Amino acid sequence: MAEGINLFPLFLSFRVALTATLLAFLIGIPIAYFLNRSNGRIADIIDTFLTLPIVLPPTVLGYYLLVLFGRQSSLGRMLEEKFDITIVFTPTGAVIAALVVSIPFLIKSARSAFAGIDPSLLNAARVLGRTEFNIFLTIILPLAWRGIAAGITLSFARALGDFGATLMVAGSIPNETMTMPIAIYDALLAGNRDLVNILVLIMTAVSIAVLYIINRLEKKLNKGQPL
Amino acid sequence: MTDSTLKVAITKKLKHFQLDVDFEVKKGVTGIIGPSGCGKSMTLQCLAGLQKPDSGEIRLDDQVFYQSDVRINVKPKERKIGYVFQNYALFPHMTVEENITYGLKGKSPEEKKQKAFDMIEKVQLAGLEDHYPEQLSGGQQQRVALARTLVTEPELLLLDEPFSALDYHVKHILEQELIRILEEYYTGTVLLVTHNMEEAYRLCDNLILYEQGQIVQSGKKEDVFHRPATVSAARIIGCQNLFPVHSVSEAGDHLACKAGDLTLQILSQPVPEAVDHMGIYAENIHFRKADDHTDNLFDFTIAGRLKGIHRTSVTIHVENTLSLTASVPNEEVDSLSQEDVKVELPPSQLFLLESR
Repeated sequence: MAEGINLFPLFLSFRVALTATLLAFLIGIPIAYFLNRSNGRIADIIDTFLTLPIVLPPTVLGYYLLVLFGRQSSLGRMLEEKFDITIVFTPTGAVIAALVVSIPFLIKSARSAFAGIDPSLLNAARVLGRTEFNIFLTIILPLAWRGIAAGITLSFARALGDFGATLMVAGSIPNETMTMPIAIYDALLAGNRDLVNILVLIMTAVSIAVLYIINRLEKKLNKGQPL
Repeated sequence: MTDSTLKVAITKKLKHFQLDVDFEVKKGVTGIIGPSGCGKSMTLQCLAGLQKPDSGEIRLDDQVFYQSDVRINVKPKERKIGYVFQNYALFPHMTVEENITYGLKGKSPEEKKQKAFDMIEKVQLAGLEDHYPEQLSGGQQQRVALARTLVTEPELLLLDEPFSALDYHVKHILEQELIRILEEYYTGTVLLVTHNMEEAYRLCDNLILYEQGQIVQSGKKEDVFHRPATVSAARIIGCQNLFPVHSVSEAGDHLACKAGDLTLQILSQPVPEAVDHMGIYAENIHFRKADDHTDNLFDFTIAGRLKGIHRTSVTIHVENTLSLTASVPNEEVDSLSQEDVKVELPPSQLFLLESR
């Protein structure tokens, strides 16, 4: 490892963050939709638990995940025996850690975006003969897209930068589960300042580029929509 | 052939009162009037299936939309009702054409386009097909909302405060336009909700007066406006002068009514069972020089004035026993203070009411 820089952590970080964000989108949007539709106490309780990862220290969160998915737990054992899936100390574990820390941002943004839609638009669509699912696709998603895109951006950034939860669940096995933030810490401990500088720069540049792209996308998709 | 008769008998508990209405509406425009928050819009939402009543029945001809005892509650999308919302509820991310085709289903794209195009012509929106709602004026938005609904050929059309979002100076033009579009292209039943009496009178054939979730009076607009039956009804339609009456007795072809220290002659009319009030519109109080031939001519003093653009509201004390408000053209206000000018309460314009 004298001259060449090992870019594995960079690729792993992006793979983990992208997968986690995609999962967060697929899981988070329906949750946000149903939270927005039901305003009862149960929705509030669910909302509280879903917001917890924002407040909890990532190491605490990571510890919970470790307990939940570890070999000692029945869930972890079942996943391993029945589906041959190991969570702890694998890239899958990194994805789960990133998903859990990032999904609250997406749910929060999407929920408030859904709540911001004038209910009479939905009523108009109902009276015009559309099904709820069709209304979700043709009215709700397009109108909430700005808020959802903001949520995607935030949750992607959070997933990309996670250190504590990922370290607890996935560890820091070089070339296997060592993500960018962990690699930076690792290089710093090893006293390799040059490597730290390069990794930090790469991370910053790529993050800026991704955020910029998402922002552009968000603007484009919002054409024709009033402010 | 159906005659688009709508029968409604529903109850629904609301926050501050119970909505409990029972009415039947036939072809033509029927207005539901009442103060804000009296259950008007809730009624429309129940008709459209957007809200569920607690009990009762809603049917249009032989189709049952809602019937509580057999647990029928047809979904909004299957009721084929047209609904124009208060703020028009146009989809902001869709063009005029996309908005108008949104409710057309099961047709080929060409067919949809053709139908939308025809409707766009009818409501005079040609050239604006690719515009977004935010680029349109209030009146154009209203026409898009109307077109979006009418293109689905609804059997019942619900209009919720269609003019409340518009500036005063375009209101009159748009009212005429709405009447034109409805007369030319819509033959079904129209139910219009408003709190504006003038608007209701201009647009509707029949009226239903609402107060606190109850129907106070209903019927042809002329009857409702000129012969309100109760004090509540008179108040809703904007009659400013309501005062207690102590006795009513026949006097030839007239009725003689005692109100305060006055005896008023009024034209023969059905006397409500529990008659206890009388009313007269502010516009119907006249002022004239004293003569011997006119009934109900009294002395008065002016207690206050409130000058409007065209007319002045004048508060008068009649013979020191009755306080009334008259609406007088601004240029005639000064002549009221002249000597031997008296106030006339025309017998044909006074009506008897019960407070119930």
